[in-house]
Amino acid sequence: MEFLNFLLILWAGWLVWRRPERERLAFGLLVASCLLMALLFLIGTHGSFVPGVNL
Amino acid sequence: MISLSEERLRGLLAWIVIVLLAVPVGGALWLGVAHGESPCILCWAQRTSMVLIALVALFVVRYGPRPRYLGMVVLLGAWGTFMALRHSALHLARDVGQGFSGSILGAHTYIWSWVIHWLVLVVVAVLLLVLRGKLSDDAVAAPGRAGRFAMGLLVVMAAANAVQAFVSTGPPPFIGQGDPIRLSLNPRHWVWAQDELSGRISWRGSWTIPRPDAAVADPNPDHGPLAALPALPVQRWERISARLDGSLNGFATSASAGSGPALAATDRFGVYVLDSTFSRVLHRVVLDPGFSIDLSPLAGAAFLNGDTLAVMSDNKSYVLLRPDAAADPALEWRHFLDTDGGVTEVRRGRFATVRARQLYALALAYDPAADELITLTVPSQRHQRLVVSRFDRADFLLASEFLPRLAPGLTPSGPDRGLAEYLVTGAAVADGLLYAISAAYSTLLVIDLRSKEVTAAYAVPGISNPVGLAARGAELLVAQADGRIAVLERPHRSSSPWT
Repeated sequence: MEFLNFLLILWAGWLVWRRPERERLAFGLLVASCLLMALLFLIGTHGSFVPGVNL
Repeated sequence: MISLSEERLRGLLAWIVIVLLAVPVGGALWLGVAHGESPCILCWAQRTSMVLIALVALFVVRYGPRPRYLGMVVLLGAWGTFMALRHSALHLARDVGQGFSGSILGAHTYIWSWVIHWLVLVVVAVLLLVLRGKLSDDAVAAPGRAGRFAMGLLVVMAAANAVQAFVSTGPPPFIGQGDPIRLSLNPRHWVWAQDELSGRISWRGSWTIPRPDAAVADPNPDHGPLAALPALPVQRWERISARLDGSLNGFATSASAGSGPALAATDRFGVYVLDSTFSRVLHRVVLDPGFSIDLSPLAGAAFLNGDTLAVMSDNKSYVLLRPDAAADPALEWRHFLDTDGGVTEVRRGRFATVRARQLYALALAYDPAADELITLTVPSQRHQRLVVSRFDRADFLLASEFLPRLAPGLTPSGPDRGLAEYLVTGAAVADGLLYAISAAYSTLLVIDLRSKEVTAAYAVPGISNPVGLAARGAELLVAQADGRIAVLERPHRSSSPWT
């Protein structure tokens, strides 16, 4: 999934660089990548949102 | 006042992107290529976040500082800071020099991730402070030379990371690993896994520990984890007739060899020294649970030789008290919500454990031969362990810790049954033996402190919600929450403490 995420970023970065008129698509890819990144982090912590410390 | 035009902001951001991609992101790539270090799944998310921050900055370089870009970069900075702290929390409190994977300039990568994401927020705030004019919604602008280089660098970095991610985590649906292996370009060494998808989802993970409630435990000894236990009948009943504020939560006597004062702790943080008949209050204080080290409900009590009193709350915080005719009321006001004026607080601290970590404890005892305090844990759904922890009275640090084993002759009542099912709410030491009473299954455990074995266990029918255990000569006193005390004949007593 991390591989897929960097492909999304690569695509978005390419659009910003070489196809600036596709801003909406590039920003959509950015948002999708952010969500995937957050999801992968939460999977990595098994949903344990709070660190293993006393609150 | 320093001010920054939008054009200069774009140029500055391009250089920031170059530094961000070249140093932390490029450094992480270099760690992989040169040292074979692969990121774990949490590291991957933080590295991705840094690249995404660079991408958002390039949106500003290309399209101007639109509000949604600024919102996105603040979100990424805040989320990245959280991720780094959450990740670091796994390792920060370990022993000196113990981290995870390699370090750079003395700090591990998850620490640098925290620094970088925090700096992103600071830089965004500073740039907004000095930005001249309104946030624009301009059309596409031609990036300068630095901007073009930054955009090309991002594409290269994203591609390089995609290659590393493919090698070390694989294509979808495979995901990063919690404990990644060394990076290798040899496909025979690649491990693509989905291990992180398994496991119980929980808001607080292994820290989801409900507070123990002995009152709801099954008191029937026949349902217990040990088979065919002999019964230890209640010889007679006594009662704490002195007036206590609250229900009893802990109980101890001062002299295992004979009569002496008793110590009672209540669920309203009251600590009482009672006479030997439990009918008169000799001393009384109400602890301030929120002062200094916090006290959760009191759960255990013990006399430490002489006249030093120890009470422990279920979170393993403890307070030492001493009757003191010369107690200074002004000095003690900060410790007590109420006092009879004749008690001094000597010490307040927290027991630190290893095997008993993340477990509550409802029993405290004192071993005079070793001059050690002893706690026993209660199990939770997360952590099924009965742990005996011993603390040296000289420094109140952990001296030893063990999980008692069953001695020959004691057999579990089923294949999945074990000592961790007991919910020990009271303990006392006598003749070198640790006696522990369990509210679950109304069972008395006899633990040999030298062999670390449960050498005997007895069903104690008729008791209800025991909260404390004390030795008094040849007797054991099981104190219940309602103030009644079941008197048992103490098994395995001997004339010598070491036989």
